[in-house]
This record gives sequence, structure tokens and C-alpha cells, in this order.
Amino acid sequence: MLNVSPRQRPYETLPGLNPLGIPAVAPLPTGESADTQRLAERFGADILAAGLHHGQQVVYVKPSQLVALAEFAKNDPQLQYEALVDVSAVDQAELPIAGDASRFQTVYQLRSYARKQHLMVVCPADESGGADAPVAPSLAGVHKGAIWPEREVWDLMGVRFAGHPDHRRILMPDHWPNHPLQKQVPVGGEEVPFTLTWSDPEFESFGKQVMAAESKPPVLPPGMNRENMIINMGPHHPSTHGVLRLVVELDGETVVNVDPDLGYLHSGFEKTGEDKRYKDFVYYTDRMDYLSAMSNNMSYCLAVEKLMGVEIPPRAQVLRVMMAELQRLASHLFWLSTHVLDVSGTGMALLMYATRERERILDLFEMACGARLTVGYMRVGGVSRDIPPAFLGHLEDFLKAMATRIDDYEAMLTHGPLWGERLIGIGKLTRDEVINMGLTGPMLRGSGVDWDLRRDMPYSGYENYDFKVPVFTEGDCFARYLVRMEEMRQSLRIIRQTIDNLPPGPYRAEDRKVTPPPRAELDVSMEALIHHFKLMTEGFQAPPGMVYHGIESSKGELGIFVYSDGSAKPYRLHVRGPSFNNLYAISKMSRGAMLSDIVTNIGSIDIVLGEVDR
Amino acid sequence: MGLEDKLPEGIITTQLETLVNWSRENSTWPLLFGLACCAIEMIATGSARHDISRYGSELFRASPRQADLMIVSGRVSNKMAPVIKRLYDQMSEPKWVIAMGICASAGGPFNNYAIVQGVDKIIPVDVYVPGCPPRPEALLYALDMLRKKQGTDSFRTYANLNAPPPPAVPEDIPALETLRRPQLA
Repeated sequence: MLNVSPRQRPYETLPGLNPLGIPAVAPLPTGESADTQRLAERFGADILAAGLHHGQQVVYVKPSQLVALAEFAKNDPQLQYEALVDVSAVDQAELPIAGDASRFQTVYQLRSYARKQHLMVVCPADESGGADAPVAPSLAGVHKGAIWPEREVWDLMGVRFAGHPDHRRILMPDHWPNHPLQKQVPVGGEEVPFTLTWSDPEFESFGKQVMAAESKPPVLPPGMNRENMIINMGPHHPSTHGVLRLVVELDGETVVNVDPDLGYLHSGFEKTGEDKRYKDFVYYTDRMDYLSAMSNNMSYCLAVEKLMGVEIPPRAQVLRVMMAELQRLASHLFWLSTHVLDVSGTGMALLMYATRERERILDLFEMACGARLTVGYMRVGGVSRDIPPAFLGHLEDFLKAMATRIDDYEAMLTHGPLWGERLIGIGKLTRDEVINMGLTGPMLRGSGVDWDLRRDMPYSGYENYDFKVPVFTEGDCFARYLVRMEEMRQSLRIIRQTIDNLPPGPYRAEDRKVTPPPRAELDVSMEALIHHFKLMTEGFQAPPGMVYHGIESSKGELGIFVYSDGSAKPYRLHVRGPSFNNLYAISKMSRGAMLSDIVTNIGSIDIVLGEVDR
Repeated sequence: MGLEDKLPEGIITTQLETLVNWSRENSTWPLLFGLACCAIEMIATGSARHDISRYGSELFRASPRQADLMIVSGRVSNKMAPVIKRLYDQMSEPKWVIAMGICASAGGPFNNYAIVQGVDKIIPVDVYVPGCPPRPEALLYALDMLRKKQGTDSFRTYANLNAPPPPAVPEDIPALETLRRPQLA
């Protein structure tokens, strides 16, 4: 069986290392906004607390009224919270909560596209059946987008959802013994044998982390009929962009049903994040969506900065935008090359062309931070270092070369008969469907929803840039292709503007509690030395609270939810990966289509399995 | 001197092992199989700038039956481990494994419940490549290392030592029914 030995770290529990008051519960929201006021009026005593917290609208609601609240918020003309963006849960076992308070609470992120508003709903779980059997009402009846995130919460946190239509595990294997994100479950892993020799008896225990392989009879996913042919696509398949497994029910060559099986790349990011200091988790975010590492960095740093209330100097903001847009370009180029390779079969040429341009972007990243793929360039409080003097010249050269390249790709594809044949009318999604399923990014814009977080909820100074948000109403794979092609052009425009408007000044915040002092200062200032030592050994402590920050990554809304208990490590860290929520649409898109259209649809959703499975 | 003097031009002599090894090192076909971040660098190795076809390895085969080399490119989760084991078992001998990146080599930064701490816990590894992820140049160097290893292989390495001895006389060959019976039981 599985060996999940807890790792002992006695030095971290020394008395006096942590100040008093840690851990602490996130404070309740204060003040009010028009939306929270309206909800409080409508639900009265069922609202436990409502108001603003770190500038976010937060509502605490009793579990009995959660579904009613979601329905009201969705349908009320003054609220119009039409989409459920994310579901997560917090295990408060290690927090000083009141005796009768419930141990688990579920957290929902609601979004109004029409009113450009965001609402966080917190709901304590119903633990009348015992503290180890928490139950929350399922929102699947109101938002289809709740189905997968709720399965994820059940799988990782062990909160059961009453009335959920498909209550199975989603990431971990079916026979996994625990719910890993619960606080009593150790991080697991193996002791690192720094001092062991081969003759030590402890050495025997290594390598026992692999679960015993048992041959299990295949389980038919619910809703499938054994009369039809059931085939497996993946987890080892050239067109699934990683280790995605699809169980496909076929009638002839027509797809009747698709059931994705995830978790083949589940790496425990969220649990690892709870074990790392705030400043150390930046490097892990690179490895989630490894095609847009810069965007991941940015999203995480912005969430922590929101929690800390750190101000970022203008130069750092512009550098971040520049890198994030370069990354979007690189990610879209990679999407294009693999999509063409999957769909048209003759796309090897485009793979070579697009990777040629992508390599130049990776060269630029290497100039800026020394790494190609997992960059770790951004830090809480700014960026890790300034760009070298030659960087801008190379970037200019790249922009000059890139200007005509996108047209070249389009000339090969857009008006070609083969490309249209495989994409037009395939994987159609209507406007209502994409909103209800909680899809984001090009999936949303390809179906006629005019929404881009960069423009509608600007962060990092995106309000200062002039760019267009491409929107197409067809809702098929071709529309999503056109959206991404146009986004590449707009990214080039934004990068051009960042070069023109790059201000001089510091590249990271001067706040010594968050960013280390410059090297030169260490030689002359004792205070700088102390700051540096404290920062490198203990990290910085964030005030108690919970924040959600979403950015427009290349694949959609990448959100980070952080619950802080006042210590130097996040108490709960949740990632809302756009690929995960977008992939939910695969069964809707593929039903009734041909088997080969599944490959088109996977490419069109643009998934990265590192982010789907996290 | 020797045999080669007597032979007409254009004919060389060599050992059969050397000839076979020479062909193996120059056309090692990897399995088309990517796990995580390292897979992206593996694709970059295959694309124009780094051009893995200089090594005769550009033909990534989707079927394990046709592949000689498994590049484990990324972290191996507990759920994926049995799949990798099966893919490895499906590859035909001789076969080689490159553990690309620190995750595949030793678990890397993911020392937690989900990740197997090194793919060598489940399959034998020939070359370990450090890096997170390794650059394409590092993967090419790993292929160089592998070629060195392939060049010194002998047929004996791949002899199936556990195979039953061939039946000596035709009368010893059991009827088909007796062969089938243990499988049915």
C-alpha cells in the first residue's frame, strides 16, 4: 500500500519563531456594496456576513440558502451573476474557529459579464452528519460549470455535494485512501536521503510510494451503453496534448458520449503550496501551465500582492505586461502548431515555422531571466531582475520579423479548403452554453461573449494600453481559431506599446519586508543584512484574509485563491486553471460528431494537462 | 594484409555486433509520449533549430511496438505509473529509457503524495538528464551518451535467459490442447 510518511520538520515548530496570533481566521468582510446590500435585503438572516474584503465583494451564506442565492444572483436583473467561475473549499481544522463552527467551508466565485462584477460566496458546510462527513448543496442545477469543480472539491477535500449529478472522483485514482487536501493528511513524499548510505536499513523504505498495481476490471462511465463500441483515447495518445484519457462511446464512427478521465499528471500543487513560503511557490507556478509560465507567475504574484497590499513600481508593471504578452504569443504559437499537426496531418511545416518564432521568444526570456520555459521571472513585489540593455533591440528585431508571419500562417490556413473543412461548424457552443459551463478565454470570445479580463477588470496597468478584444459569434472551432490569431496580433500591438512606454525606475518594490535589498546595500547596512536574512530564512508573513485574483492567461481566466492565516505560508492555495474548466465542454462539443472531430475539439480547447490536473 | 586486401573495393569486414550496434545507435526511434514541461523541450528538440534528426531519432513512433527509446519527459504521478510500466513492457527489445529532467529522475520539486520519486522505481533507466526542464542541448547530449552505451552492447545482453529450451525431438512437442489448458484454467 501507499507510503505517505509525514515529513518531520521540527525547526519550523520552535516556540517563538511565529508571532502570537498565528494561526488566525480570515476576518469577516466590512462595509457594503450595492450588490451585497441587495443580497442581504433579500436573504436577511440567512446571510451570515456580507461586505468588502480586500476590495472584493464577499457574502457568507448559510448552506440551506446557497442554491437560492446562486439562482437569485443569476436571474436578478440588478445582479446578473450569470457565470460560476470557480469552486474551492477550505479545511479550517488548524484554525482557531469557534466550537460550533463547521470545519469545512466552500468558496464560490461568481462573475457578472454584463455588469463586470465579481462576487465571492462563502458557505460553511453542513456537518450535522459529523465533522468528517461535510455536505454542501450542489450548484450543478444552476450552473453546469459547477459539476467538475465540485467533483474536484470532493476528490481533494472530501466535501460531499448533495444533489450532484455525477459524484465521482476526478483526479485521484478511485481507490485512493484519503482526500489529500484535508489538513490531517500529510504532504507525503519521501525523506530526502542526504546522509543515508546503501547499508542503512531505512533505505529499504524508499521506492514504496508507488501504489500496489492491482488489475481492476474496467468501469463503464455513467450514461454509457455497452451495446455501442467503447474505446479509450489516451492517456498515451499523440493527439491528446499530454496524458488526457477520454473514454469514448461510438456508434459506428459517430460519437455518442465522451467521458474524460483526468489526473494522470496530478502533481499536488495545492498541497505543496501549503507547505511552501509565499515567495517559494512562484517557481512551482511555472510548472502548472508550462506553456505560459509568465502568466502563471503573474497571476500568483498579483494574488499575493493583493493580500499584502504591496504597490508595484511602474517599470515592473510594464515589464510584467511585456513578458505576459510575449508568453501569450508563444503559447498561441505552440497551440497553432500542434493544432495544425493534429488536424491536417500535413501540418509539420507549420510546426516548424511556429516553433521557429517561438524559439526567438524563448531566447528573449533567456536574456531576461536565464531560463527558456520555466522562467520564474516575476516575484512578489516586482520582477526578479531588470532586462539587460540588449533586450529591447532583440525584441524590436523580433517584432519586425513577426509582423508578417501571422499573415503567412493565415495564408496557409484560413482560406484553404482543408482547414475550413475540418474546423467550420465543428464543436459548436452557443453563448448561453459557454457562460453556463463557466468557460473562459477564447472559448468565451469565440461564442460571442465580449469579455476579456485585461480590458474589463484591468490589472497591472492594462487599462493604459490600446488593444482590441476579438469576438466571433459562430461558436465553432474556426471562430476560436480566428480569435486566437487576432489575439496574437493584438499582443504584438501591446508589446509595441510596452517598448514605447517603458518607464525608468526600480524593477521591484522598495518594501524591504517583501523584496530583498540590493546586493550593494548588504555591504554597508546592517539593517539591510537583517532584512535579507529574515526574508531568505523565514519569508514574509501575509495578514490573515482570503483573496481571489484572476488574470487573462492565454487559455482563459487563470485564478489564484489564497487563504492566509497570518503565517509565512499560505493556509490554503487553490488554482483555478482555465484548461480544467474549459475541458468540461469536450463532451458537449463532441457528441454527435465524428471520432476525428474529437481531436479537433481538443486542439480547439487548447488544454495543458499540467494545469488541468495540477 | 588480411582478408580485406583480397576483397574487391567497396567491401569491408566487421563484426556482426558492431554492425548491428552501429545501426541501432543511428536510428533510435523514441516513443511519441510526453508527460509535462519536459515534453515541450522534447518537442523543441525535434523542431527545426535543434533538429533531432541529425541523430536519426526524428521518427517519434506513437506505438510502443515500434519504438526503441522511451524518453520519460516529466513528472510521473501515481495514476500514470502503471501506464508507463505497461508502455515500457509493450516496447520490444532492445529498448532504452532516458529519464528527462529531475522529476523523472528523482521526483524533483514534487516531493509529495502524488508523484513517484523517480521513474527508476518502476522501469530501468539508462541515462538521467538533470535540469528543470533540461535544455534541448542537454537532451541531445543524453542521446550521445546513449549512443556510447549502445555501441558497447553485446547480443548477450538481450538474450532471453528465461526462455524454455527448445524441444529436442518432434515427439516432445505437446499438443495444442495441452498448451491451451493452463491458460484457460
